[in-house]
Amino acid sequence: MRQLIWKEWHEQRWKLGFGCVVLCAFALIGLRTRAVPDESIMVGTCALGVLLLPILTAAGLIPAERGEGTLRTLLALPVAPWKVLAAKAILGAMLCAGPILAAAIVSLLMARGREISNGATWEIYGRAVAVALFLFAWMLWSTARSPSEGRAAALCVGVLILWLLATRGLVAETHPARNGMAESHAPFMLWAICPFVLVFPPADFAPMEALALQAVTVAVLWLFALRALKFGAMEEQS
Amino acid sequence: MSDPSAIEIHGVAKRFGRKQVLDDLNMIVPAGKTFAFLGRNGAGKTTAIRMLLGLLKPDRGTVRVLGMDPQEEPLKVRQRVGYLAEDQAMFGWMRVSEMISFMAPFYPTWDAAWAKDLANRFELPMRTRTRHLSKGQGVRLGLLLALAHRPKLVILDDPTLGLDPIMRKEFLRDVVTYLQGEQVTVFFSSHLLYEIDAVADSVAILDRGRIVRQAETEDLRNRVKRLIAPAEAQSVLRDLPGLLDFALADRQVTAVVEDIDAALPVARSSGASIEVIDLNLDEIFEAYVIGRRKEQPDAPAHLERVA
Repeated sequence: MRQLIWKEWHEQRWKLGFGCVVLCAFALIGLRTRAVPDESIMVGTCALGVLLLPILTAAGLIPAERGEGTLRTLLALPVAPWKVLAAKAILGAMLCAGPILAAAIVSLLMARGREISNGATWEIYGRAVAVALFLFAWMLWSTARSPSEGRAAALCVGVLILWLLATRGLVAETHPARNGMAESHAPFMLWAICPFVLVFPPADFAPMEALALQAVTVAVLWLFALRALKFGAMEEQS
Repeated sequence: MSDPSAIEIHGVAKRFGRKQVLDDLNMIVPAGKTFAFLGRNGAGKTTAIRMLLGLLKPDRGTVRVLGMDPQEEPLKVRQRVGYLAEDQAMFGWMRVSEMISFMAPFYPTWDAAWAKDLANRFELPMRTRTRHLSKGQGVRLGLLLALAHRPKLVILDDPTLGLDPIMRKEFLRDVVTYLQGEQVTVFFSSHLLYEIDAVADSVAILDRGRIVRQAETEDLRNRVKRLIAPAEAQSVLRDLPGLLDFALADRQVTAVVEDIDAALPVARSSGASIEVIDLNLDEIFEAYVIGRRKEQPDAPAHLERVA
């Protein structure tokens, strides 16, 4: 397992650096110029991270290796496929969460208690990390059988658009001020398993329930990805 | 006590969508032998090999490798088998030394001194990134990775694909001969017949997803022959038992038969003078996968265990 994580780290670490530079620069410049309220800058930084990082990460994990043919090499080793997937998931989680947390630290250093409290700052970034991780899980699932990085990136964008459409862009027409997903017209299960529910939870929906539902969904997605990794990669005729 | 059979495959079938890739595949590979698994591109060789490693699940039938079921114990099988895939992809950013270090922990029996020895013998540049290796160096690195844990069974899936003729000869001379000396079972898949002619103890010919012939190489050479006779004998030669291929040209008929002992007395009953020609493995293979189709388009493939 250590070897697998070492391999993933070497292949993916540039994304961590890239994500950190982009998000920290965005937060730094925004909070320094103070063109808009601090909260808007932080939410904007989070939105950038949530939209960018899961796509960048998920597309480069399984599909990139499948495209290069190294996934076949990897799965022919005496190592359980779940470990291969777990190593990728761990690195993916780091790549999604790391830059957002780095931006959170920059935000705290730049605007500690200036307009919003430290607790509120952490809450904004914490929710963004949660959404990024759950989006990553969805994207990892959707790209598990994808043959190339390019197609995987398109699929990831599709997943993102699907959730935005399913939740009407997170803003219910009837209650625009509340951003209330509970009042939106999306079917129950669809919004309940939408990663964005963690940012805009409905009034009658406990955060722990939302989190539990997300966790169950991710577990199902993970099992699918494992199955796709185990058999899908190999099922080509000679 | 070692298992007398390194590989046993019984009644294996595999379908991809609407294409039946393997159909009632039966094969036994004796331990300690060099076994050539022959078939044209797309015959199902790689599919069968992936089943041996537990990478693919057969739709039906049983597979045993070194006494284990690859579906039940895939990791144990892969730990004990050396595998060099056809056109094996390496992690291009890794240096040769990193690639070796990366692979070592996956194999409990990895022999670092042996790996180093092989690297020297194969003249591998340890500091070079694998994406910068030549085709030949890549194959040699793959081979090092397949051998460094001292497996009892080595599966080579068309390992010389893409190598130039000199490299292929070197590969066969150095590697297969070495493995034979070490009593390692070598399961060698190839579509280049001339290259395995000199090294294979036994062969199995795969056609349309079935083994059409499995035999010891020498026995195959002794039995499968080409008969040449004047055109007048064509009616007799057409009905020879075990006829694989038949052609009429230049007032001569040529027939390839799979058992000369059974066919020759029948051929001689025509009264014509019969010339018996030895065939190399390439020609034998051609007779089975091309001639046999022509002569017996509807014939069911069969397994004739000789080895």
